[in-house]
Formats: sequence, structure tokens, C-alpha cells
Amino acid sequence: MSGNIKNSNLGGVSIAFQKIAVGVAFSPTAEAMLMETARLAQILSAEMLLIHAGNQTTDTEARMNEMIAKCDINGSLRSRLTIIWGKGDPVDVILDSCRKHYVDLLVTGALKKENLVEYYVGTIARKVLRKAGCSVLTIVNPSTESKSYKNVVVSAEDSTYIEEALSTACSLVPRDNGSWLHIVREVKMYGLTMAASDQHTEEEYENVRQGLVKQEIEKVEEILKDIPHEGFRINIKMVSGKSGFELPKFAQRKNADLLVVGAPPRRFSFFDRLFPHDLEYIFADLPCNLLVVRQSKYRKEESRG
Amino acid sequence: MGKFPHEAVVHLLIQLSVMILAARLFAEIARRLKQPAVVGEILAGVILGPTVMGMIQPEWFTTLFPTGAASGVVLSGIVQVAVVMLLFIAGLEVDLHVVWQQGKVALVTSVFGVVVPFALGFVFPYFFPQYFGFAENYSVFIFALFMGTAMSITALPVIVRILMDTNLFKSKMGLLVVSSAMIDDVTGWLIFSVILGMIGKGGHGLPLITTIIITLAFTATMLTVGRGVINRILPWINKNLAWPGGILSFSLGLCFMGASFTEYIGLHAVFGAFIIGVCVGDSEHFSERAKEIVHQFINSVFAPLFFVSIGLRVNFLTNFDLMLTLIIVVIAFVGKVLGCGLGTRLSGLTWRESLAAGFGMNARGAMEIILSIVALENGLINEKVFVSLVIMALVTSMTSGPLMKWYLRTSELGK
Repeated sequence: MSGNIKNSNLGGVSIAFQKIAVGVAFSPTAEAMLMETARLAQILSAEMLLIHAGNQTTDTEARMNEMIAKCDINGSLRSRLTIIWGKGDPVDVILDSCRKHYVDLLVTGALKKENLVEYYVGTIARKVLRKAGCSVLTIVNPSTESKSYKNVVVSAEDSTYIEEALSTACSLVPRDNGSWLHIVREVKMYGLTMAASDQHTEEEYENVRQGLVKQEIEKVEEILKDIPHEGFRINIKMVSGKSGFELPKFAQRKNADLLVVGAPPRRFSFFDRLFPHDLEYIFADLPCNLLVVRQSKYRKEESRG
Repeated sequence: MGKFPHEAVVHLLIQLSVMILAARLFAEIARRLKQPAVVGEILAGVILGPTVMGMIQPEWFTTLFPTGAASGVVLSGIVQVAVVMLLFIAGLEVDLHVVWQQGKVALVTSVFGVVVPFALGFVFPYFFPQYFGFAENYSVFIFALFMGTAMSITALPVIVRILMDTNLFKSKMGLLVVSSAMIDDVTGWLIFSVILGMIGKGGHGLPLITTIIITLAFTATMLTVGRGVINRILPWINKNLAWPGGILSFSLGLCFMGASFTEYIGLHAVFGAFIIGVCVGDSEHFSERAKEIVHQFINSVFAPLFFVSIGLRVNFLTNFDLMLTLIIVVIAFVGKVLGCGLGTRLSGLTWRESLAAGFGMNARGAMEIILSIVALENGLINEKVFVSLVIMALVTSMTSGPLMKWYLRTSELGK
């Protein structure tokens, strides 16, 4: 259930991530996290905020500067880098800093999978992911080697955020020299639809099945008409079943570097985990790096003054 | 296992063969007339049963379906199993994910879609039970509760088919109607389960509050703990057992276990099957392809057997009461069209769209017939009410599609 579109020209769509923040602790992966964020800030010509939940002492400042130096953050990016120190619960420090500084994109590191208790109680990374009022990029295996997102999967699930997710993915892929964008969409209630088609002949039944897929591909193509998507290949893939569940499976099959999904600006609660929906399925077991595209609540607050 | 006589085996197989073939023949006729298969299947039963064959050729009827014969007992057992399986697939059709996505809007629509028809269906039989063929086996209150529930139930597959025909299935209105119908079904079966718990087996019913607690506790436990356990077992089954045999055996085994459990605790077997269906269908590991196979298997073999058996059981001619049928049909139409229309209007659709949605959701289909047969078996209604309810289910299923299309077309012309 898929269709291919080949594009040639390189697009130049400006992306809305003007301020990128990263939460950093002095952990073994901190350096890699910082480098991943710096790479992104370079690509997107964005400001960079480094948030540390902990005391600001001469020692910690020195360690922080040493880490920044190791990460080769120089030139114009160094001038766009701000370090924020905050005391208290890391989740609160990170989220408060994002709000105060009108962050568009927050970068965090996370384990691929949480155990049952962690899933319901929530770890720092997942809490940030669920509560942030801006887009969040969760990096599963941060690396100190510069590695672009060549193979990106984006969810085209019917929602008010579909265009945000698609346009973000479409503008990120060419900037990062990506080659593939797989657009995944769910054929909603496929089983029920086919069950309701039991009064057809074999040929009609097959036509219904193919019609369902075709209809959804056309919907995606219709949305893509208004979004520049050049310089990379597009694969439109239809899945049946719960898209939030099928999406990570597809991303894993394709060895995707990044999965992009749209999300409502609201916080996710415990109830969401009890009755999981699309995003909670993905949060539970991250197939690769995950970019949750969310209209920044903080930006809105800024524009309201 | 007891020994089943050779003659009875032959008899039973002939019965099954005649029922399935007749059901298919009449379902095909219904299909050509663009009507739901259930209409043809019920008609097949009416023709094979006491209404037509029993009147014209009584000896053929008694030879084919003798009363008290061993084959008859087994056949009614098979029909019971069919009912349980039909409720299982009704549960599978409930997509909590879609309901969740629609959120409050679906809830508002479904509340009106249940409350208004339920209120109308309750009030009239409660105050004028004599016009509704009140059976007097139980209190007027329980009877009126049942009539209210009977008016509020919906037929999801019929609605889906109508929405597909009108190309509205994936529209805002379509998704709203489908998700509300799903909530309506869950609510309707919850209420009906409480009613069945209250009347109990052999007249030894449970107090209202106890039944409500048991029903809600069972539902809540299954939808949380049960659903979680199923969700952890299914991946193992998918990975290690043959497909689709493994998943089908597990899901149907679970369905019968749930059905037997609810039957044992004093609720009806159909309720257990329905809730298990919701739990299994909600699992992301129960693939859409598996759902399709379960549906095909049950809808093609067991559903026809059940619907034909309806016509075999009751004489539709001697039990037909025109006035009662008219009253029930009118209440059903007014309640559902008005209730769902109001609900969808409050959810943001235009009046025209809302009324069209109301006509679409008016279809009662198979669910109404199952609800009625369970009520008849439990002595909650008599055969006259049963016949009227079956006719109402058929009339609403046959008219909802054309009425919705007609209304949408008129609306388009009027623009």
C-alpha cells in the first residue's frame, strides 16, 4: 500500500525553530547531546540554549565550558549560545526555562523503552516530552559523530497538526541533506469498513479495498500540493491498524533516523497512558529519534506580550 | 460427551444446510434490492418457519424443524453460540481509539442519541403499558427500561455502509456519527445488562444497585486490567502461533470464557462477549486483517443461522399487531432522529447535516434483533412486541440509507 513521488529541486522553506534548547546534565551522553543540538542549530541557523538543572559554581561552570569547547561550538553559533542555570526538579527547570525564553524546540535524550513502572510513573525525558509546550526532539542514541537525518518518517494521520508535521518534515529533510521522506497514513477503521462491505462480489470487494488505499494516498497528495517538497524522494505508505502503533513499526523496518509526528499543544496525562493513543504508543517504545512537532505555546505567550 | 443419535446428526445437518442456503438466497435478493443482508435472512426464516411454511405445508415444517427433537436442542445451542459471537464482533467494531480522537463532541452526540430515544422509549411504555403488549412477568419499570434501551441501540455496520455509500465515512460528520454510535452501543448494552441482571434467571433477579455494581465492575476491570493482559498475550501469540489460527482460537476462546463468566455471575452471556470484543478489538496487536477474518467467518456462517432462526421461532403473521408496530416505529424514528440530530447540532454540524446524521443513526439492524430475542427468551416481552421490534429494526435499517441520501440531496438542491 504505497506510492512514490520523485522530486529534484532543493527546497528552501524556512523552519519555525528559531530557538532550540537542550537539557544537559554532566552525564556520559551530555557531550553527544550537545553536539547533536549544535548540529541542528547550525542547520537551522537557530539560537541555542543550554539548560542545566544544578548549582552554578566555578567548578560546574568550568566543566560546562570544557564540554562546550570539546563540542566544537565556535563562531556564530557560540555567539548564539546561552547557558541557563536553574535549581530544583530537572523537569520543572527545563520546562520553566523553555517558557521564559520562548523556546521553539527542546532537545532531550531518552531511553528507547521504559519498563512498566517507569511507563506509568514517567522518567525525566518522558515527562518533558509529555509536558512541554513546544516541539520536542527526543534523541535515543546521541552520537558525537555528525550524522544527518537521511531517512525520515512522518505521520500523516488525520488531525489539525498534519500540515505542521508534514511541512516541518519537508523543510527539515533537504536542509539536513536527507534523501527519503516516508509519509505514513492510517486507513482508518479498515477492518470495520471491510466488514461492512460483506455484501459485495469478490471483484467489488477488492475494488473497495483498493479504493480505500487510493483515497488516502490522494488525500496526502492533496496536502502536499501546498507544501514545498523538493530535493528528496517521497514514499507515501498506508497502514491499517492503529497508526501510533504501526508508525514506529514502520520506522523500525525502514531503519529511519527520525520519526516526525504532530501533537496537540496540551499536556499528556496519566489517563493518556492508561488508554494509550497514537503518541503514547510511540513514547512507550521509541523506534528512533522522535520529533514531536507542536505549535509553541511559549511563542504565543510571547506574541501576546 | 453424550452420544448424539445418527438420525439426529443427519437431521441437524439438513437443518443447517437449508438454513444457510435459504439465508444466502434471500440475502442475495436483498442485496440486489440494495437492502441489508439481515432483511433477506430474516425473510428466509419467516418463509421456512411457522409464518409461511408452517401455514402452507405444516407437515414439511414439522418434519424439518420438529419440536423437542434432539437436533432442535443442538440447533438452539448453535444459535446461542451465534448470538454470543455476533456480540463479540459488535464489540470488536468499537474502536476506542476513534472514540478518543473524537472526544467530547462524540460524547455529546451520543448522550443525546441515547437519552432522547431512551426517554421516549421509557415514558410511553411506562405510562401506557397496555398499548405496548406488556407481558406482566416483571414490573412495568423493568419493561419500560427495556423499551427505552431498545429505542436507543444502533447498528454500527449499517451506519458504516450508509456512510460509505454516501462517501461520508471519513468526513467530520461520518467520524462523529460512527464514534457516537460506538458509544451508544456500549451504553445500550451496559443498560441492557443491568436489566437482565435485575430480572435474573428463573425470576431470581439481583437488586438494581447490585447489578449496576457488578456490571460496572466487570466492565471497568476488563477495560483496564483485562485489556492490559490481552495486550501482553497477543504479541506472543502473533509471534509464536500459526496465523490466523492462533489469534482466532485465542480471541474466540476468550469470548466464550467471558460470555460464560457473565452468564455465571447473573449478567447475560452476550454482555461478556461484547466487552471481551471491545478489549480484544482495542488491542493494537489484533490486526485489522484478523478483524476482517473474524467478521467474515461470523457474518457469513453464524449470523445467517441466527437471523433465520428468528423467523423459525415466531409466527410473524399471528403475532403482528399493526398499531403496536406503528407506535414502536414512530417512537424509534422520532427519538433517534431528534436525539442524534440535536446531539450532532450541538457538536457543531449544521441543522441539515445533523438531521441527515440523525436519519443515518436511526438504523437499528442486527443489534436490535439480538436485544429483542434475549428479552423474549427472558420473558421480558411477549411475541407481539418482539415481532414489532424486529419489524422496527428492519424498517429503520432499510430506510436510514435512502432517507439520509434523500435528505442530503435535498439539502444540496436547497443550497
